[in-house]
Amino acid sequence: MTENEQSGVPDNEDSAAKAITRRGFVKKAGDLSVTSVLGTAALMTNSDEAEANSSWAEWFQGSYRLMSQEEKDEACTRLERRYSEEYGKDVTVDSTPAQEGVLFGYALNIQKCIGCRRCAKACVKENNQSRGDQEIEWIRVLKMEKGDFDASKMADGYPDSYGIQVGGNAYSAAGVVLEGEHYYEPEVVPEEDAFYMPMQCMQCEKPPCVKVCPVRTTFREPDGVVVVDYNWCIGCRMCIGACPYWARRFNWGEPKLPKEDMNPNTHYYGNRPRMKGVVEKCTFCMQRTRKGRYPACVEVCPVGARKFGNLLDPDSEIRNILATKKVFRLKAELNTYPKFFYYMD
Amino acid sequence: MKKKISFVADFSSYVLKGGLKFYAWLGFLGIFVLGWAYGNYMQWTNGMIVTGLTDQVSWGLYLANFVFLVGVAAGAVTVVFPAYVYKHKALHEVTVLGEMLAIAAVVMCMLFVLNHMGRPDRLWHMMPIIGVYNWPGSMLAWDVIVLVGYLILNVTGGFYYLYKKYMQEPLNNKFYLPVIFIAIVWALSIHTVTAFLINTMPARPMWHHGMMPIRFITTAFAAGPALIIIVFTIIRNNTKLWIKDEAIDLLSQIVVWCLGIALFLTMSEIVTELYHPTEHSLGLQYLLFGHNGLTALVPWFWFSIVALIVTFILLLIPSIRKDHKKLPYICAVVFLGIWVEKGMGLMIPGSIPTPVGEFTEYYPTLIEIANCLGNWAIGFIVLTFLLKGAIGILLGEVRYASK
Amino acid sequence: MQANKQVFTSMNMKRIASASVFYALLLCACSTAMAEDTVCFESREGASKVTQKDIGEELKNVKCSDKTGGVLWWGDPYDGTQPMGEMPIEADYTHGEAVVKSRIDQLTLYPICGVACHNGTYPAPVEADAPPRQLMMHMDLVPDALDLQHGNGGIWCLDCHDAKTRNKLVDNAGNLVDFNQPQKLCGKCHGQVYRRWREGVHGKRIGEWATTGKKRWFVCTECHNPHDVQQGERKSGFAQLVPEPAPILPKGMKNADHERHSEH
Repeated sequence: MTENEQSGVPDNEDSAAKAITRRGFVKKAGDLSVTSVLGTAALMTNSDEAEANSSWAEWFQGSYRLMSQEEKDEACTRLERRYSEEYGKDVTVDSTPAQEGVLFGYALNIQKCIGCRRCAKACVKENNQSRGDQEIEWIRVLKMEKGDFDASKMADGYPDSYGIQVGGNAYSAAGVVLEGEHYYEPEVVPEEDAFYMPMQCMQCEKPPCVKVCPVRTTFREPDGVVVVDYNWCIGCRMCIGACPYWARRFNWGEPKLPKEDMNPNTHYYGNRPRMKGVVEKCTFCMQRTRKGRYPACVEVCPVGARKFGNLLDPDSEIRNILATKKVFRLKAELNTYPKFFYYMD
Repeated sequence: MKKKISFVADFSSYVLKGGLKFYAWLGFLGIFVLGWAYGNYMQWTNGMIVTGLTDQVSWGLYLANFVFLVGVAAGAVTVVFPAYVYKHKALHEVTVLGEMLAIAAVVMCMLFVLNHMGRPDRLWHMMPIIGVYNWPGSMLAWDVIVLVGYLILNVTGGFYYLYKKYMQEPLNNKFYLPVIFIAIVWALSIHTVTAFLINTMPARPMWHHGMMPIRFITTAFAAGPALIIIVFTIIRNNTKLWIKDEAIDLLSQIVVWCLGIALFLTMSEIVTELYHPTEHSLGLQYLLFGHNGLTALVPWFWFSIVALIVTFILLLIPSIRKDHKKLPYICAVVFLGIWVEKGMGLMIPGSIPTPVGEFTEYYPTLIEIANCLGNWAIGFIVLTFLLKGAIGILLGEVRYASK
Repeated sequence: MQANKQVFTSMNMKRIASASVFYALLLCACSTAMAEDTVCFESREGASKVTQKDIGEELKNVKCSDKTGGVLWWGDPYDGTQPMGEMPIEADYTHGEAVVKSRIDQLTLYPICGVACHNGTYPAPVEADAPPRQLMMHMDLVPDALDLQHGNGGIWCLDCHDAKTRNKLVDNAGNLVDFNQPQKLCGKCHGQVYRRWREGVHGKRIGEWATTGKKRWFVCTECHNPHDVQQGERKSGFAQLVPEPAPILPKGMKNADHERHSEH
């Protein structure tokens, strides 16, 4: 296994060699794969049979990561037809690859975050997650309560005989409560005794989720985003077990996405509608960022706590923050090297 | 070729005939299979939403049963190892029965994996050459290799032995012994790799320690032989095959030693994690004492600890351990206790709290339970048929009749 | 009686009929418009309104929150914007195109400042260095002019608003500052923040992430209420917002009571 394979960077020589062995017996038949034949046939006709063929072609498609550009375009066209039919809109499934010289980085100012959760909801407006009782949100905002040093709590602690000084708040909430609250719903935010910390996929440089995936359906793209090929995922949920940031979500049932809420501008690895039994997560709004636009969460934050940019551009906002602010990463001791940084003013 | 066809035919026709008890047993299991059929249909069409799993607790009853049954499959080695390495005569006579149990257990494991997967229709994505096989990176890829390999070894070894007995030909030890010895080492590997599946994830501090593989092996070698003792007792009481006392006595010794080590490891874990509890021991604290009013797993944990300690003490006493009338019942409690310890005591609390500190509780749905019971029933049906055929051959009732 | 009969001549009837039709149609149009119009706020409630509309095929200009009325998503980040205008100091806006939304369009009183009232003769003009006094007007914006919630007693109205040209702001040197470029004024006292805003580290921008990309910059008063930055005891600079709803509880959980810490 090459180093490139391990990091998920598509290794053209390797994949070409592998393509010969994997699809050799079909490729011999005039450079046509099973999917190409079925796919082309499906796209050329416009009947119900074409629909069935198209879904067979989709079922048979291999791992997108290993496809030729031609096959990728075909896969995207097939999906565009299916989504447009399903949602009654003109859906586009983009296949823009990673740009050269771009490595996405993200910074979140926890000094500023007020816990309004607009980021979580904006993400849902953009990324076509399941709604209703099967609601999925990729961003989770934690409330960290500060608690108080109350005189009445001073005697809470170990009994004197343990040799530990009684006094202080051994058990009571004081300073910062270590367990964040997920389901806070106050009248207004920020609350007086709290600060907030949103979490989403950290787009690690050394992602634990990528390592455990048995079919390599989740991997890190060259621009730093860890993606999921929804058509290749087998739903074993090893990645959900391995992620230390609880960033990944699973479609337990067929996703419930109303037509009017569907965002028709999608990317193959990004916000295109998922199906039941597959894993999904934040992709830094790949459908936007690969076309040059900020992710939805960055745009909506009313206090400007979220910053995003190209880590390889020394003049970018994100590099400015890394150079001038006090920056930290969550669970840094796990050596995941996240590209989602937290900072304070 | 004709002989092999005849073997299959004779084996099959033998296992399908039986007395009233036999059909009653199959009928009883069949009821669970009906529930399984409905449950699987619901899960196939609606997806895993029919289970009680959530993004917070995404590894549930299916994977818990899988992990437990890999242990039971590995436990078959407690029959093979003494028989072939220590030349234990009593166990040597019935080694093939252990291999049959291993086959049935691995079949159950595979059924549970299929139930656990969100997209079982995409299983081909995992096959090498036509799919993408992330080996050696992914532990699950390793696990598939070792489980499939173990199945192949047991099918090969077991049915080769049975075929040769059926043909009344001598075994070619140049072929057979390597298969057996590889299977012995391989058995250890299947449960070690399954332990690595869960203990190589720093995101799950309750599992992330080096003690997991040995804990798995010891509980496997307590639960496996416990089940084998029960099976052997049933065979003694219902067939003409008499399994010698020495076989059962050695197995019960293995049970008590491994139970002892397992309890020691549990004690060690509790002391280490709870002496100065950190956030990493929140899962264990939740399991033992509950958290802020969430106490669903507490009774299960204490039941399993009490059950295992009591049975350990009972089995230490030779007069009880050698009492073959009481022993199967004690073994049943051991089996149940380890099942609870593995399922509710390890697999479920591993996800509670989530890596970002959310406490939730997991309640399996009826469909989930029906699927689990159905998988067990299918496993026992497979076991019944395999054992019946094997016993028939061992007794000489199934023989190749050359024309 | 004669006069009444004269009213109902055929000519008048036609007029009445067409007038009725006209008003009926107007009523329909108004009611449908009112039924469909979703108005939400971009940053600050009451100060950054935007009306939802279609701007392309299957593309809305904004998507709003049902619960809070805040904008959650922009279809076109540059919709309704104009170029930032002349800014003498080099900053990010010189590397890429910078646009802003006009503040003046959001200010309801602006058209009449300096036209109806403050037209040079009425009310009587005051000197720029006049001592602070209680105002009888604009109390919806500033309830107590002698206790301005900005600067902790250090400034009052005429420190930022020009005494004579009321539709302009004024800085410490007497230069007039357009309402659309409040940063030229705010930055005089809040220099560090201004510097960081120019770098893109303070405040908010939407649009393209590249350094040379086109961005819509949010100016100071879009997020901060200049008349109430202190927010009472909070002294925070930013008003509290109504939060969006919590995520749904996972299966198996009836409530999240176990995570409420305040009872400890």
